[in-house]
Amino acid sequence: MASSRAPAVRVAPGRAPLPQPGPAPSPRATKNKLSEDSDAPPPKRSHIFYGSLEEKERERIAKGESGLLGRERVKAAIEAGNINITSGEVFDLEDHISERQAEVLAEFERRKRARQINVSTDDSEVKACLRALGEPITLFGEGPAERRERLRNILSVVGTDALEKTKKDDEKSKKSKEEYQQTWYHEGPNSLKTARLWIANYSLPRATKRLEEARLYKEIPEATRTSQKQELHKSLRSLNNFCSQIGDDRPISYCHFSPNSKLLATACWSGLCKLWSVPDCSLVHTLRGHNTNVGAIVFHPQATVSLDKKDINLASCAADGSVKLWNLESDEPVADIEGHTMRVARVMWHPSGRFLGTTCYDHSWRLWDLQAQEEILHQEGHSKGVYDIAFHIDGSLAGTGGMDAFGRVWDLRTGRCIMFLEGHLKEIYGINFSPNGYHIATGSGDNTCKVWDLRQRKCVYTIPAHQNLVTGVKFEPTHGNFLLTGAYDNTAKIWTHPGWSPLKTLAGHEGKVMGLDISSDGQLIATCSYDRTFKLWMAESL
Amino acid sequence: MNYIIEGKIQIIEVSLLVKMSLSKRELDELKPWIEKTVKRVLGFSEPTVVTAALNCVGKGMDKKKAADHLKPFLDDSTLRFVDKLFEAVEEGRSSRHSKSNSDRNRKRELKDVFGDDSEISKESSGVKKRRIPRFEEVEEEPEVIPGPPSESPGMLTKLQIKQMMEAATRQIEERKKQLSFISPPAPQPKTPSSSQPERLPIGNTIQPSQAATFMNDAIEKARKAAELQARIQAQLALKPGLIGNANMVGLANLHAMGIAPPKVELKDQTKPTPLILDEQGRTVDATGKEIELTHRMPTLKANIRAVKREQFKQQLKEKPSEDMESNTYFDPRVSIASSQRQKRTFKFHDKGKFEKIAQRLRTKAQLEKLQAEISQAARKTGIHTSTKLALITPKKELKEGEIPEIEWWDSYIIPNGFDLTAGVYSKRDNYFGITNLVEHPAQLSPPVDSDTPVTLGVYLTKKEQKKLRRQTRREAQKELQEKVRLGLMPPPEPKVRISNLMRVLGTEAVQDPTKVEAHVRAQMAKRQKAHEEANAARKLTAEQRKAKKVKKLKEDISQGVHISVYRVRNLGNPAKKFKIEANAGQLYLTGVVVLHKDVNVVVVEGGPKAQKKFKRLMLHRIKWDEQTSSTKGDDDDESDEESVKKTNKCSLVWEGTAKDRSFGEMKFKQCPTENMAREHFKKHGAEHYWDLALSESVLESTD
Repeated sequence: MASSRAPAVRVAPGRAPLPQPGPAPSPRATKNKLSEDSDAPPPKRSHIFYGSLEEKERERIAKGESGLLGRERVKAAIEAGNINITSGEVFDLEDHISERQAEVLAEFERRKRARQINVSTDDSEVKACLRALGEPITLFGEGPAERRERLRNILSVVGTDALEKTKKDDEKSKKSKEEYQQTWYHEGPNSLKTARLWIANYSLPRATKRLEEARLYKEIPEATRTSQKQELHKSLRSLNNFCSQIGDDRPISYCHFSPNSKLLATACWSGLCKLWSVPDCSLVHTLRGHNTNVGAIVFHPQATVSLDKKDINLASCAADGSVKLWNLESDEPVADIEGHTMRVARVMWHPSGRFLGTTCYDHSWRLWDLQAQEEILHQEGHSKGVYDIAFHIDGSLAGTGGMDAFGRVWDLRTGRCIMFLEGHLKEIYGINFSPNGYHIATGSGDNTCKVWDLRQRKCVYTIPAHQNLVTGVKFEPTHGNFLLTGAYDNTAKIWTHPGWSPLKTLAGHEGKVMGLDISSDGQLIATCSYDRTFKLWMAESL
Repeated sequence: MNYIIEGKIQIIEVSLLVKMSLSKRELDELKPWIEKTVKRVLGFSEPTVVTAALNCVGKGMDKKKAADHLKPFLDDSTLRFVDKLFEAVEEGRSSRHSKSNSDRNRKRELKDVFGDDSEISKESSGVKKRRIPRFEEVEEEPEVIPGPPSESPGMLTKLQIKQMMEAATRQIEERKKQLSFISPPAPQPKTPSSSQPERLPIGNTIQPSQAATFMNDAIEKARKAAELQARIQAQLALKPGLIGNANMVGLANLHAMGIAPPKVELKDQTKPTPLILDEQGRTVDATGKEIELTHRMPTLKANIRAVKREQFKQQLKEKPSEDMESNTYFDPRVSIASSQRQKRTFKFHDKGKFEKIAQRLRTKAQLEKLQAEISQAARKTGIHTSTKLALITPKKELKEGEIPEIEWWDSYIIPNGFDLTAGVYSKRDNYFGITNLVEHPAQLSPPVDSDTPVTLGVYLTKKEQKKLRRQTRREAQKELQEKVRLGLMPPPEPKVRISNLMRVLGTEAVQDPTKVEAHVRAQMAKRQKAHEEANAARKLTAEQRKAKKVKKLKEDISQGVHISVYRVRNLGNPAKKFKIEANAGQLYLTGVVVLHKDVNVVVVEGGPKAQKKFKRLMLHRIKWDEQTSSTKGDDDDESDEESVKKTNKCSLVWEGTAKDRSFGEMKFKQCPTENMAREHFKKHGAEHYWDLALSESVLESTD
């Protein structure tokens, strides 16, 4: 207001603000002023003095106008209510004003805060926020811009913490609910019990047989065994890329040998699954059915051996949660298994071929009875998605590895988790049982592969296997004499089984190794990669 | 009650008179009194009258008889004389028995002060201590006092008198005790009342609150009583003559009768009390009660203290056992603070005490750890109780390579007596634990929580940045203007520069340009200073800057440590070694370097960025294959040739992540043998790094 031109006000009326050469007092006056406050600029006068009434009043009184007449008048005025004389009550202006000032300042502060608050430009989100704050989501005639402004104003009053708090509370309650979980049981269908009995009857003789074989093998003299081993190692050392085939125009995620080692099934991110004849790598079949990335395709344990071609020979799963069953004759899936709502990472056949295990990203894995054509087990236990599953060679156990970095070994007969594989830092992407029946290998995102002993219930060795995450582990299927690991560092590696020293690095892929398999006769090794090829590896000397 | 007391006092007086009639000595002492009286009555001294009067008194006559006896000497003034005489005698007696008498006086005075009611209330308030003796008195009275006091004292037998005397003294003593009991300076409640408590009736109890009020009253009264007593004492002291001989006589009489006077009197007494000893050699009074005599105190301060301590200890030991149990009025909740502080001494622990405790703690901790492990395992596998866990865990530990009869997971479902050896694999249903129950084991959250959504920062283009800055500044400026407009803050002084000074301060500039310029320059300097200060305030301090740098270098390894393992063929060059160590130190990497012939393993742990830099150092920056200095190759050509043949190089063996660091600060370790190297790694739980590095080098050499 009167801020900028304060000196002008101070100059006497009737005189121009700018100095004029005319009258003498004017420059002197300004000069005086300058000398007064020589070190500061001309001060601003916040009030204007218009003169006093005192003199006039005195004159009036001198004239004798006061006295009785005046008093009477005053009385009359008081009676009329024109003059109000209070009884000494004082209204403190200072306080009132400072209060009002504080209010105004607070309002300024609020506006400043409001400016700094970031409010979503998405109208639906704005509405959601308003709803969360307990405000009407819209007012009559209010557009998105006004709504947004309203939300901003509200937030500037209640603070942005209000929204964050509600969000956090939600998360917390969710988490605590999960953490609260303790071991509990629910009753499954009766078919589960019958299936479990069946598995028990199936697995126990196999276990005895396996142990007997192991004893027999142990009776073979040490020298023979070592010579056998050395031979094997020698042949493995001479492994070489035998053939490479472009499988599809998208990365190939999985490969699996048929039980008779004559076919190789590959799964691709394009949604196609292909069957290749081995070892000439010619396309036999293309299985069309999946629409998204296929995670895995596996042969039935008896497929191509004793199973009819028209029977269900293959099972595959995809990222959209579809699981499809195939025979060897048609291009179309024979059946769909429905019930997965999230990505199914892997499928695996039970050694008996009667059951199919699937792992799902909804933190569960399932066991399907294909005879009864139903889901007999929906097993939870992982705190994150389950990635890989493997069955014990006897058919008695199942091992699952999850994104929670833990592995679990389940007894299929009792339904119990009999071993907890804790030690990996990151997700477990591969799990496999050794044919010797008591070793488990897990491959993880922390670039290591761990070998666990079921009998001793502990991790026996940690193989610092790769320089990137390990996508798959596989024991040699006949005797388990070596271990194959594949990883995102574009290599697959072969390790001796007890001893876990590196034998050979299968390098040749230009992309990450996504899947690998060893043929059941142990002659061929297949790896498939992100570079859209799969490669077969074979010992040269043989 | 009061009446009884009055009566009693009279009895005492009479008895005293009687007693006086028996004692010649006392008569001798009375003589001057009587002479004086005679002189006063008759106006002159008359020895015959005196002797006659003494005779009368000495024979224990009453007033009437005495009057008859003295009539011939004194004629009409006989009655007056006899009255006076008896008054004098009484007076003399009263002064002689200053102490006991004062007691009685006090009692009377008290009564005067408080009135009858107060007396009663006093009685009731003093229930604990006083009532009983009073009752006793009432009971005793008929026995002790055979007849009314007005009857002739001559009728009393000697024995009776003695009994009366005893009763009287006891009463007096009790009074004293009660008073001393309540009076503040000597709070020793147990000792004086030692003989009394047996007689206390148990049924006579009062409410605690009442008791408290009574107690307060009693204390108040006692205080007043004490005051009165003091006043009396003072009054008595004003009459030295009274205390002088008469007192002595009374005391002597008392002693003669074998009654120990109250202790307080002992102080004013010059003559020793007769010492009576019982068969055990203890000092006793006439009634056979044990009394404490004042002992000769040692004069040395140390000795005094020693004796005091001894006594104190004695008291401490004895007191509680003596009467605490028997005294129903003893309140065990109230602790008596001992007047003397216990002397603090060293307390030495027995040897091995703490060792034992530590051992116990250790075993306990071990047990707990074991239990925790079991429960942990139980929790993980989803099996709750340890018994269940025991059921499913393998029964015996198998050695490596041993083949069991049956796998433990199979044995769990097989019932006892199941024939394994038989080749009968018939379908059976009698397995153990096969149900249709689906387990939901407790879920463990993953070790690395990667759930937190990764948010990308919003990066603005240069244009956007400028726009944003412009907007915010404009808004701030607007706000400022608004505030000035509303008068909430003073307007800023006009901003002047050299370039605009003519416009802003036109008049003044023209009038005194130098001054105005100086002013403008000062303002400019001020602005500059404010700006620089604001910048400096925003700046981190040296420490903060350092901390920030270190924090950035150290990285966050809570989500797992990045590890890389390198193998170097030849790490003999100290320059290279130094580079490794220095870089690891600077990057805050931990790890180990194991030097073993041509397998030198470098393990480093740390954050990802540091690893990246270290990797670049190892694989690119250090030129491993460059020839070592010529000075080394001079002395032995052979080795030099060999090293040339095998070009030195470094290879990355493995890189990955682990939960924790397994090594400490970077160290170099020379290991002559493979085993030693492996042992060294095993010590840190990282033998697989060595294994891998070694086998890789072996593979390389065979290729």
